[in-house]
Amino acid sequence: MKKITVYFALLFLLLSSLRLPVAAQSKNSVLIKNATVMTAVKGTLESTDILVENGKITKIGKGLAAPAGANVIDATGKYVTPGIIDCHSHSMLDAINEGAFSVTSMTRTRDMLNPTDITIYRALAGGVTSANLLHGSANSIGGQNTTVKFKWGHPVEDYPIADAPPGIKFAMGENVRQTTQAPQPGRPLRYPRTRQGTIQTMRDAFVRARDYKQSWDDFKAGKTKVQPRTDLELQPLVEVLEGKRLVHCHGYRSDEHLNLMLLADEFGFKIATLQHGLEAYKIAPEIAKRGTGVSIFTDSWGYKLEAYDAIPYNAYILWKNGVNVSINSDSDERMRRLNLDAAKVEKYGGVPEQDALQMITLNPAKQLGIDKRTGSIEIGKDGDLVVWSDHPFSVFSRVETTLIEGEVYFDRKKDGQLRLDMAKERETLEKLDVNKAPATGGGPPRIPATTRQAERDDAEYGDGGHR
Amino acid sequence: MRSKLFLPLVAAICSFFAISANAQSYAITNARIVTVSGATIEKGTVVIRNGLIDAVGANITAPADAQVFDATGLTVYPGFFDTLTNLGLGAAPAAPAGGGGRGGGPVAAAPASAAPQPTSNSNYPAGLRPEEVTSDDLRAGEAQFEANRNAGFTTVLSVGRTGIFNGQSAVINLAGENVSDMVIKSPFAEHISFVTLGSGGYPQSLLGTFAALRQMLYDAQRLQEWEKAYAANPKGMKRPEADKSLEALFPIVSGKMPVVFNANTEREIIRAIDLIKEFRLNGIIAGGQEAWKVADRLKANNVAVLLSLNFPKRTTASSPDADPEPLETLRTRAETPKGAGKLAAAGVKFAFESGGATAIGDFFTNAGKAVEAGLSKDAAVRAMTLGAAEILGVDNRLGSIEAGKIANLALVKGDLFGRDKFVPQIIIDGKVFEQKEPVRPPAGGRGQGGGGQTPAGPSLSGSYTINIDVPGSPLSSTLNFTQSGSGLTGTMVSSATGSAAIRDGKVTGNSFSFTTTVVFGGANLDITVSGSVSGNTITGTVDSAAGAVPFSGTKNP
Repeated sequence: MKKITVYFALLFLLLSSLRLPVAAQSKNSVLIKNATVMTAVKGTLESTDILVENGKITKIGKGLAAPAGANVIDATGKYVTPGIIDCHSHSMLDAINEGAFSVTSMTRTRDMLNPTDITIYRALAGGVTSANLLHGSANSIGGQNTTVKFKWGHPVEDYPIADAPPGIKFAMGENVRQTTQAPQPGRPLRYPRTRQGTIQTMRDAFVRARDYKQSWDDFKAGKTKVQPRTDLELQPLVEVLEGKRLVHCHGYRSDEHLNLMLLADEFGFKIATLQHGLEAYKIAPEIAKRGTGVSIFTDSWGYKLEAYDAIPYNAYILWKNGVNVSINSDSDERMRRLNLDAAKVEKYGGVPEQDALQMITLNPAKQLGIDKRTGSIEIGKDGDLVVWSDHPFSVFSRVETTLIEGEVYFDRKKDGQLRLDMAKERETLEKLDVNKAPATGGGPPRIPATTRQAERDDAEYGDGGHR
Repeated sequence: MRSKLFLPLVAAICSFFAISANAQSYAITNARIVTVSGATIEKGTVVIRNGLIDAVGANITAPADAQVFDATGLTVYPGFFDTLTNLGLGAAPAAPAGGGGRGGGPVAAAPASAAPQPTSNSNYPAGLRPEEVTSDDLRAGEAQFEANRNAGFTTVLSVGRTGIFNGQSAVINLAGENVSDMVIKSPFAEHISFVTLGSGGYPQSLLGTFAALRQMLYDAQRLQEWEKAYAANPKGMKRPEADKSLEALFPIVSGKMPVVFNANTEREIIRAIDLIKEFRLNGIIAGGQEAWKVADRLKANNVAVLLSLNFPKRTTASSPDADPEPLETLRTRAETPKGAGKLAAAGVKFAFESGGATAIGDFFTNAGKAVEAGLSKDAAVRAMTLGAAEILGVDNRLGSIEAGKIANLALVKGDLFGRDKFVPQIIIDGKVFEQKEPVRPPAGGRGQGGGGQTPAGPSLSGSYTINIDVPGSPLSSTLNFTQSGSGLTGTMVSSATGSAAIRDGKVTGNSFSFTTTVVFGGANLDITVSGSVSGNTITGTVDSAAGAVPFSGTKNP
């Protein structure tokens, strides 16, 4: 009786525990009909169809014929954009920070992927198809990143984008210095404790990496007898020196980020992205000159001392200077609303619509080295597409369908049905003996959990890995 | 402490006698014999001599010198294996990192510092010392295994439970006064848990755990090559480091010694399989709660599973304002007993382990649940006898009833998987341990949480305020009881349902039950209420067509 209404009220909570099985459908072909297509490169096309075959966009045009067996999505009155790419995320990671050392380049977020994390499904519901899964910012040199597509329901090995160049997290500032954190009893203070110590830690690591590379070169040239160690800490830094691994560096103050770029100049490599970079507008020409990208929040600041000197025109000034700017979330929750963060860039400074859209699609794709396959709606690229109920920069717009490589991973209509199915499943499961509470437990009633899931979603900033 | 108190009690109800060496043999006659390796013998004899099985068959006559035990009505099984325990180790029993799992409470990431660490001059911190060997730490004396023997176990795999490297395990018999008498095989395998070091040192996070494991395995590979080259020709070569921790990994990286990974969730198991593939390890999974989800991968990589029988269960009623349990938790409880059957169907090798269960009897009853959920009885028996012996590499001497094998036998009365199973005799290395059947409480006395066994409890008359845990909308209610003899009358009152008279009220000891009809949500609802009173506390269940919900409360002064 009343039970059914109770279930509906609890649906949101139920979702948090669920892995929604989205039925795999034929990847062969999908035809999106009659949409307003925001290509992110060639303007907005009215009443246009997009054909995706074998995961790739093969045709863009009007009145395209559906191949036999194609999944046809009628998008009349709706908008289609490329899948959103979040260039700074810690979603689906079972651990974010290895804080024991100042250099933890041996760690890999790939080891920590949790494909059952509900935030993946929620990200899809916000139109996000790819993300840069980064180590946290606890140390000067953090762990190796993983660039993924959110292929919800697939086995874990399907998530990493195989041809994405590898990357690594660096960090500077308050999180690294740990001076704003209360010292842990019995735990020694960790070097570095200052900004100058941070840059020196990085320099020292690169010197060690250079020596390490030399030891292997000597061995291969027959100059030494004993094979050097395979050093998992220094190996990724050799790859950075060789330009094979992208550096994504967390930081806030412009002087620090400038120091980092000078360090990279010294060792002869390029920083891929300055992450956060709330003061990047102060050094826009220096950043542009080096071809370094910046990945920012649009208008989130003031949450710590080094995040005070921020302005909403940051993206605009960087864009005006020719810097590749992306807008990231660094949050499981905000990740679902990146479209609105891009919209704000239009408001603050008047970045044109397509350039604003690029900041959550093509620009992060370029920063992550995956722009050959995703980030815009062009023939030959992956069918990573989002169908919106309205203009994606409108607060009234909702994601209707999210596709990755032509496969539907989120469908709002199906989502409604899944919720009903889950309520039914819960009803069945709760009736099983194994799920009934023992009638005579004897002990006192359980003390309720101090935090509930719904609250926990908003309390993620306690994690040192964020911001 | 607890075991000391327990021992005199055990001594009172148990006794054992050894078959004097050489002089005498022991014959179990008229028994049903489940040989496991061959057909079951409905009525036969097993002859034991010198700690070994001398003969087995339907038409064997007990030798003249034999002490004969008439086992009419009993079934003889090979002694049962528990393939993951910490029996014999000094540390207090703790849930293993690979036990419990989802739905059964949080997975304990046991910090390495939990137990006092022996001093070591290793280059590596406690928790990253693969050279530690269980058999070095075993306690002598067989009295410590009494409870496990009485349940039917003769042989276990034992290993510590702390650290990333748990150390090297040992297969031991649960009898023998000296450690050397107990050990069947040592070392068997290196055991690894995906945990962090609680000491605050590296690794502090799972990210570091995997990096540290990889680095040590790479370093071990290199040191092994280096030592080989140096042994062949040391001239002009830097002397290799004498690193005992890395040297302990040599048999692992060369695939000679198995590596047991404690892994319960699907992703933990996949991570373990990925490491097994990356370093070509001879890998085994322990725990394996969700192993059935990756049965194809386990099969493809020839990875066996030590499957925990510590099935997740709901242990407490939720408080009235708690969130409903996550659907995944409900699913896990429902699906876990089906896992063994699915692994069997997929052709994955597995053996059962107790998974740190506090009640040792759960091992067999939960194996019974696995049978109800699709595993064949034969496969279940195999997974605790010969199948276990195969995975542990001792199947040439243990695991089945065959002439020439070690005389480890369990004599079982009743259904092996039933609640009433009893093991009157257990034989280990030919040594016979006897157990007298305890006097059972009268029927109906069980399952009442102890309350039902208290004779003639105080009257339940009085008024009680209870909270009924209706999901999402808890109800407060008052029970007004009047007890006369075993009859119960009174009312059940709440603001939501009004006042309803109690029907069919019964009292047994401290327990009660009644039915009534309440108006709920505008409709009549028949409910059955049962529960018990202990002191001022009242707990129980309200059952109706809408499902059963727990309640708890207190007596009003």
